[in-house]
Amino acid sequence: MTTTEKSVPDELVVDFDIYDQTLAQPVDTVQERVAELAAKGPVVYSTAHGGHWIVTHYKEIHEVLRDPETFSSYPNNLVTGPGGMGKFIPIELDPPEHTGYRLAMQPLFSPNRMKALEEQIRAHTNDLIDAFAGKGEAEFITEFAHELPTRVFLALMDWPLEDAPLFTEATDTVLLGKPGLSPEENQQAQVAAGFEMFGYFHKMVQERRENPGDDITSTLIHTEVELEGGKRLLTDEELYRMFFLLLIAGLHTTQGALAWSIIHLYNNPAQRQALIEDDTLIPSAVEEILRFEAPVTPGRRATRDVELGGVQIKEGDQLILTLCSANRDAEEFDDPSQLILDRRPNRHLSFGGGPHRCLGSHLARIELTIALEELHRRIPDYSLIAEDPPVLHASQVRGCMRLPIRFTPTA
Amino acid sequence: MSDTRQQTRQLVVDRSACAGHGLCYSTSPQLIDCDDQGYPVLLKEFLSDDDVPAAEAAAVVCPERALTIESR
Repeated sequence: MTTTEKSVPDELVVDFDIYDQTLAQPVDTVQERVAELAAKGPVVYSTAHGGHWIVTHYKEIHEVLRDPETFSSYPNNLVTGPGGMGKFIPIELDPPEHTGYRLAMQPLFSPNRMKALEEQIRAHTNDLIDAFAGKGEAEFITEFAHELPTRVFLALMDWPLEDAPLFTEATDTVLLGKPGLSPEENQQAQVAAGFEMFGYFHKMVQERRENPGDDITSTLIHTEVELEGGKRLLTDEELYRMFFLLLIAGLHTTQGALAWSIIHLYNNPAQRQALIEDDTLIPSAVEEILRFEAPVTPGRRATRDVELGGVQIKEGDQLILTLCSANRDAEEFDDPSQLILDRRPNRHLSFGGGPHRCLGSHLARIELTIALEELHRRIPDYSLIAEDPPVLHASQVRGCMRLPIRFTPTA
Repeated sequence: MSDTRQQTRQLVVDRSACAGHGLCYSTSPQLIDCDDQGYPVLLKEFLSDDDVPAAEAAAVVCPERALTIESR
């Protein structure tokens, strides 16, 4: 039997719901609220979503991430995803089943392959800045933070740019639901979004099967993967579940990190000035911004009874890992709530850890580094707009939906 | 004056712990490269005195604590 509220000490029971949008709106209080949980203990129990554990401290989160035998990665989400979609590959598979898929995908996002994209990413970055630099204002999300990762991703996959709105809307629906809908209606909307995406992936797979290129879509279609039953090509359904995960994991997260870069550097003018004066500070600044606002809260399920952080977890219990609080754990980081751009060491867990560590981390780091270089070269005096503040959102992938900025217009 | 210890200091990667974060080879590329999967490849069998600061810097950034300097 799984844990119920009654068997948990009162002081560890909370009603925190990571999907509750009032956490982030009108003002983003996610970090404060999660810090309150962390103050109660390394592992607390929430009554939301049928009951689940929330792991809040660095040490315990790291322990869970590195023990896939005890903590299965399925389901990764507290709320049911699009019905009938099956598991996201590879994140919702456990080793050893996970390993073959992971090894097939990892080289496609390897550090050297991603480094070779630098020039292309810089060109996309400057094209986007060109379009708003002369105006002196921009809605940073639609004009930049959403567009940059989308364009880079489409180029890697070799899918048409004009298709972006379709999968942007579908991934938003899957991650956040649609405003104003009941939970049942939302689930229907998510199923519909899932089907729409599978239809789209079907089209792309058919096309690249006939006309292969050197893009990731073609490579995944045509690579034999070492799986438990032997070496074979991936099925269409496996491909769709990989593509869907790449979209969900790769676009929203980078968009959020770009937005938080602007927000936190604006709020820390001395740090921003240091970065403008010395752009060699940017790689460690990227790590610090990643530490400061880990967007992802991954889920795990206990495969056996186990003790964690002083509580007894039962087989079948669901857990979520608030990486954002691990990253502000004073046991691991000095002055954890200070943004310190040259922080060293900075062993943040924003990309997770263990076998499911973010596959796209090397790409994310390059995108963030180039974006910070070019933004601070071209519009270094950006400011937020008091009467039109940023709009953030909660969920297991937190992020930013709207971020109006002003700056001195440039050519 | 010779220090025999310097011949026996090594960077050691715990392969079961390494998750391919990539921070070690971006911190100390003179000592560590990466393979196609993104896992570290050690470039030197032994560390000289001059290598030690870079080796320590690489070890300390590892989120998995997979990298250590061992003296034998």
